[in-house]
Amino acid sequence: MNLLEVQNISKDFLKNDDSLQNVLSDISFTVKKGECFTIIGPNGSGKTTLLRILGLVENPTDGKILYLGKEMTNLSRKEKTKFRRRISFVRQKPVVMNSSVEKNIAYGLKVRGVEEREIQQKTKEIIKIVGLTGLEKKNARTLSGGEMQRVAIAMNFIIDPEIYLLDEVSANLDPKNISLLEEFITSIKEDRQKTIIMSTHDRMEAIKFADRIAVLNNGRFTQIGPPNEIFISPKDEFSALFVGYENIFPGIAEIDEKTGLNQVRINDIVITASSQVEGEVKVCIRPESIGIVKEPPKNTSYRNTFKGQIENIRDLGNICHVIVKCGPEKFLTTITQLSKEKLGLKKGTEVFINFKATDVKLL
Amino acid sequence: MVNEFIDGIIEAFVLLFSFDLEVWGIILLSLRVSGTAIFVATLVSLPIGSFIALRGFRGKKALTNLINTFMGFPPVVMGLLIFLLLSKSGPLGSLGLLYSPTAMIAAQLFLAIPIIIGTSKAAIESINPDLKETILNLGANERQLWWELIKESKKSIIAGILVAFGQAISEVGAVMIVGGNIRWNTRTFTTSIVLQTRMGEFGMAMALGLILIIITFSLNYILTHLQMRDK
Repeated sequence: MNLLEVQNISKDFLKNDDSLQNVLSDISFTVKKGECFTIIGPNGSGKTTLLRILGLVENPTDGKILYLGKEMTNLSRKEKTKFRRRISFVRQKPVVMNSSVEKNIAYGLKVRGVEEREIQQKTKEIIKIVGLTGLEKKNARTLSGGEMQRVAIAMNFIIDPEIYLLDEVSANLDPKNISLLEEFITSIKEDRQKTIIMSTHDRMEAIKFADRIAVLNNGRFTQIGPPNEIFISPKDEFSALFVGYENIFPGIAEIDEKTGLNQVRINDIVITASSQVEGEVKVCIRPESIGIVKEPPKNTSYRNTFKGQIENIRDLGNICHVIVKCGPEKFLTTITQLSKEKLGLKKGTEVFINFKATDVKLL
Repeated sequence: MVNEFIDGIIEAFVLLFSFDLEVWGIILLSLRVSGTAIFVATLVSLPIGSFIALRGFRGKKALTNLINTFMGFPPVVMGLLIFLLLSKSGPLGSLGLLYSPTAMIAAQLFLAIPIIIGTSKAAIESINPDLKETILNLGANERQLWWELIKESKKSIIAGILVAFGQAISEVGAVMIVGGNIRWNTRTFTTSIVLQTRMGEFGMAMALGLILIIITFSLNYILTHLQMRDK
């Protein structure tokens, strides 16, 4: 069963002049347990409203939300509280209560009736992890923005719910806090197998965590799919412009002890990368970095060469997108119209693609 | 005129510090009547005020308008209504409560309720809606949310209660009508000041006026202090 099922929800807000403003329309998707579903879209596209509806603090104007098959929109207040306790929601702009850091962090456990000793122990633990030691007794409202965001993260992560809603959590953070947050997201996703629904306008963040991406524009999903599909074949101009193009493959990286080269295995092919990241990674290669040749290259500085067949060519004026299928993997490359004609590339042509180890980014 | 003023002040201090039974009886009765009225009004109004603030329902706007109107309800008219209710031929006449401290508490209670409902409702409504949602998302049920929001807006709520108390203790018309200004029984600061002034007993009037001013000044001091700390 799907953990979450959203069916055709829409949301209209009543404006001050009594007219209706449509914020979301006809949104449908499902999320499986343990999945990271990422909503990517520009400011004002409706990301926060959608997450608030999923967090059960806002009702949709139309449509249904089902958690584990149970309809949420017409639940009693009591039942809603019960479901809300299985979800936590980290906001873009954190708000804290007018009490100490400690009390704020402990609040989620306190309202759930957790035993005082357990609360104290867990609060102490998480305060250490988020680096707020020494500030326990300080009023949370007097903290700096970064510290407050760390309190907000601790407040939600201490609850350890089944579902995490993360609304552009990294948007207002400095690099140090971003890496803390990313460690947290990795730990809940990989170690604890929790379900994450997050929104972002940062494509790299989306690539890093998403199992599937939904592109939200003007309150509508223009495309939903795995990251490589979204970044290789955007469905419309908006997706293409906003999301951009990128080759993304999930793989496992291991540094070869003899050669010192990082070998990333992606199904049947092995890509050489200069990055030293090991383990489960996402391989990103920009389409402009991939070259196409007709004959197998000799004496080249490119570490990566693969044989493939052209699956499709999209003409975009001066340049064109060539999609090359190498085994089960598809690579998107950008070349000029001129070189396309020189090489005589057509659908079905057998070619070789190549790219440098330094152009392979590992996330 | 000046002499009377000075004589009045001297007599006021004599009455206060010789612990004149009648003067102190009046002070204690006034505090008891207004204190009880405000205490009960708070118990009734706080849940109502926060309920209106937190829930959306049909007729909310009309109810809000009604409460705002009643916040400025003329005390004399309230006195008249309570009088009609409690007078011998009135619906509650059999209780025999007219001209008793209880009748005065009732009058002040009904004057205070809309003030405390109105101020607590406004206080809770002024809380950042993101905070309400954050508290809900942290797993609070309705009662827990309610309590957290009361704590969040406690300064404004206390300020509302103090305003209501200040109005109750310095109110004349209603307590005069339903209390009857009976010596040793229902005579308060205000009714007593009216009577003593008419009789030319400026000493007693001044003594009571002085205490009343001290009370209202301290209330205002606390109020300003609360508002300053908010900033």
